[in-house]
Amino acid sequence: MDKNQACYLCKGCGLGEALDFDNLEEVLGESGVSEVKTHDALCSPDGVALIQADVDGGVNAVLIGACSSRVKTDEFNFGSQVIVERASLREQALYCSSDEEEAKEDRQMLAADYLRMSAVKLAKSNVPVPFKLELEPETALLVVGGGVAGINAALAGAKAGVQVYLVEKEAALGGFLGKMAKLAPESPPYQELEDTGLEELVAQVEADGKIKVYTGNTVDKTAGAPGNFTITLSGGDTFRCGAIVQATGWLPYEPEKLADELAYGTSPGIITNVDMEAKAKAGDLGGLNGVAFIQCAGSRDQNHLPYCSAVCCTVSLKQAMMVKEANPEAAVYVIYKDIRTPGQSEEVYREAQRKGVVFIRRDEDYPKISESGGKLAIETKDMTLNDTVEIDELDMVVLATGLKPNNPKVVDAPLVALGMDQEAAKKLAAESKAQCDSWSVLNLQYRQGPNLPTLKYAYPDSHFICFPYETRRTGIYTAGAVRRPMRVSQAVEDATGAALKAIQAAHAAAEGVAVHPRSGDMSFPEFAMQRCTQCKRCTEECPFGAINEDEKANPLPNPTRCRRCGVCMGACPERIISFKNYSVDMIGSMIKSIDVPEEDEEKPRVIVLACENDALPAIDMAARKGHKWSPYIRFIPVRCLGSVNLVWIADALSSGIDGVMLFGCRHGEDYQCHFIKGSELANVRMSKISETLDRLVLESDRVRVEEISFNEVDRIPEIISEFMETIEEVGPNPYKGF
Amino acid sequence: MATKAYDKSFREEVYQNVDSGEDVKLCMQCGVCGITCPLRGEMTHGPRQLWSLIRAGKRDEVMNSPDIMLCTSCYSCKVRCPRGVKVIDVMHGLAHYALEQGIVPRKETSKFGKAFWDSIYKTGRVDETEVPMRYTLMAGPIHGIFNMLEMMDIGRALLAHKRMKFKIGPGLPPSKKIKGMKGLKKMLDKAKAMSPGKEG
Repeated sequence: MDKNQACYLCKGCGLGEALDFDNLEEVLGESGVSEVKTHDALCSPDGVALIQADVDGGVNAVLIGACSSRVKTDEFNFGSQVIVERASLREQALYCSSDEEEAKEDRQMLAADYLRMSAVKLAKSNVPVPFKLELEPETALLVVGGGVAGINAALAGAKAGVQVYLVEKEAALGGFLGKMAKLAPESPPYQELEDTGLEELVAQVEADGKIKVYTGNTVDKTAGAPGNFTITLSGGDTFRCGAIVQATGWLPYEPEKLADELAYGTSPGIITNVDMEAKAKAGDLGGLNGVAFIQCAGSRDQNHLPYCSAVCCTVSLKQAMMVKEANPEAAVYVIYKDIRTPGQSEEVYREAQRKGVVFIRRDEDYPKISESGGKLAIETKDMTLNDTVEIDELDMVVLATGLKPNNPKVVDAPLVALGMDQEAAKKLAAESKAQCDSWSVLNLQYRQGPNLPTLKYAYPDSHFICFPYETRRTGIYTAGAVRRPMRVSQAVEDATGAALKAIQAAHAAAEGVAVHPRSGDMSFPEFAMQRCTQCKRCTEECPFGAINEDEKANPLPNPTRCRRCGVCMGACPERIISFKNYSVDMIGSMIKSIDVPEEDEEKPRVIVLACENDALPAIDMAARKGHKWSPYIRFIPVRCLGSVNLVWIADALSSGIDGVMLFGCRHGEDYQCHFIKGSELANVRMSKISETLDRLVLESDRVRVEEISFNEVDRIPEIISEFMETIEEVGPNPYKGF
Repeated sequence: MATKAYDKSFREEVYQNVDSGEDVKLCMQCGVCGITCPLRGEMTHGPRQLWSLIRAGKRDEVMNSPDIMLCTSCYSCKVRCPRGVKVIDVMHGLAHYALEQGIVPRKETSKFGKAFWDSIYKTGRVDETEVPMRYTLMAGPIHGIFNMLEMMDIGRALLAHKRMKFKIGPGLPPSKKIKGMKGLKKMLDKAKAMSPGKEG
């Protein structure tokens, strides 16, 4: 495409008084942008009309020197065929610099550098062309698991008008819902136990022409990518689908593991809450005079399940109420650490109390259970009485065991590849591989393994609070208790959410755009294969399993699996991966376009490669809040810190820039990014660069990685001034002027 | 030191016989009542532990707990209880029930009650000088005088602000009776006959 460039500079918000616009026009001219117009308020209808008129007249590459690219996005949108590049003069040159007269020169240099970089970026940008699948894109939905979440996901999908395939391994639909006697109260006034309503749900599924049910089947193979998955079932059926909802539910925690602590297995009277539910369903609760429930049986215990399963309290309340209904005279005890009744279940707790259930608060130690003469007795600490108490004459002790996801635990591949802790990572990988070989839900035909990567408790989630339903495999969503422990009503809601997300993903794949977090992004990584050395780093490090390999280890990209983070671009040592509007060459050229003053001018230059999702907004906010920082800093936004290619650091240092900082998001346990691993990867890569720097007789202090979260606005000036001090101590870059 | 086993008979007894006794079921052991009580320093158990003791079936501990007669009906606990347990009603209910069973959990409260009752029964009034004098002297003449000396500062301040009349001793000079004393006595006698507790 022939580029017809034009630049528009805004004089509003104080820029007009602070900067010398004649000089800026000169700078732009040197950078190859000859058409420059200024306006007093570019975002006003008048200013926008000025640009629009030029766009109508054939301009298709617009450089706007005004405010941050994060604001006024609607005003400066001229359609998908016009490239818009924004130089953030207001936040990054004006607001953050000192307003004293002597700082004027530095500020002018700052603005000029931002315009130089933007001009280069504009010159290297191309209009992205969305990726088109070879075959006609498919929007049908596969739902794996026919429990309450699966059934509701299927119904929601069918209601939204797509074809749904519902696969259930058992002979009938229902899952655990089919094994439940009653549900804990779900509707006001939260006092009456409710029916499961399963028959009605199954009838709805059967009556729906858009849902095809495969009972007695599991998924043997999931090949392809969003918009074009090919599913092979154990029964031999094959079909295509666009997206997948995994609703495989939960597994009870194995009570055999509680034999030491809670005497499980020593008496037929000691049962789990799952057994109790079966008894209740069989109508087998009569004749019970004394029943005790022991909460957190293995839950919130580092030796068993370290987390709270969120539902066991409500389940025990329900079962206690069922015992009381069968025999109002029965003595029913609940021995708990904390009663956790989320939502309106507090009313259920109250109702159980009204019915006369006695609650005893215990400490961390498990109660001792003993049997004599066919009756059970419990000795436990009573925290309120601060004494050990005994409860005897019990017919039954119910252990409220927790929930595990019905999904194999998988250690994330990039962690293994990068070997942050080689030995531990290898061990984990071997363990998870052994498990995955024998057990997989979806049997993904992905180079990165047949299963969804999981969090540490085997929940196959991306981030269960911030991005519900999202997994680390594009187009595959989770719903219900496989995602986190939840009760029936929550699973119903979850199912709808996941189904709608999945439909959205299938449609995005059909249109060739990213689904999230860069929704609507049409660019995708392109590989210059003739230069590939088959090093496999892109396939190992892609957090989303987007890249497969052929038998010669050549990468086989699947653009509809891609989330456009650019981690592959950062990983590639040969720099063969690029996007139409984001490439190694582009950022490298931007860095090289920075004007580096001579050493004797004592004006150091530092570049900051900043994550555009977390760090950049924080920088904008800091500037708007009135924080000032060194005028020697140049910010360059990157899609993700994981997309930072080491060659950029080399480019920067060899062109005389004194220091490089990388601002990325929090990583490790509290990561909060859709891109999962980018920041962590950058950290590991930078730790390796220090050796190289030492060899070049460059101090490794010149490169630093910082974690900045969105709200850490006030830390930005601190970090910058601290780094500037370090640079001052280290001295000017010896490569200046070469 | 395992104490005796949970026993459901006493809690059933409380649920049935004590005023608002069924509220005890609703306690969720948060402890707001105990920490909010202005007499928490004086209480041995506090309402929260009492409810636990009731549910554990510890009859003797509950019925002899001075706490159930220490409650001053300030209503802080009842107002703050997140479960709406009528704490005061249960406390007074337990005190009544104990007296009915012939148990006096706290002698001082009974003594003060008697001094209070006597003053009303004789004059129809609660005399600010008379009632404390009678109450302190119940401990015997010597202890009584020491007790009174302890409260001298308060007495002096009350006198200075004319909030209390000066008296040499109980009934010296005698308090003025209200009009219709006869009618009041009749009412009090009837109330006494109906009351389960003995006032002394």
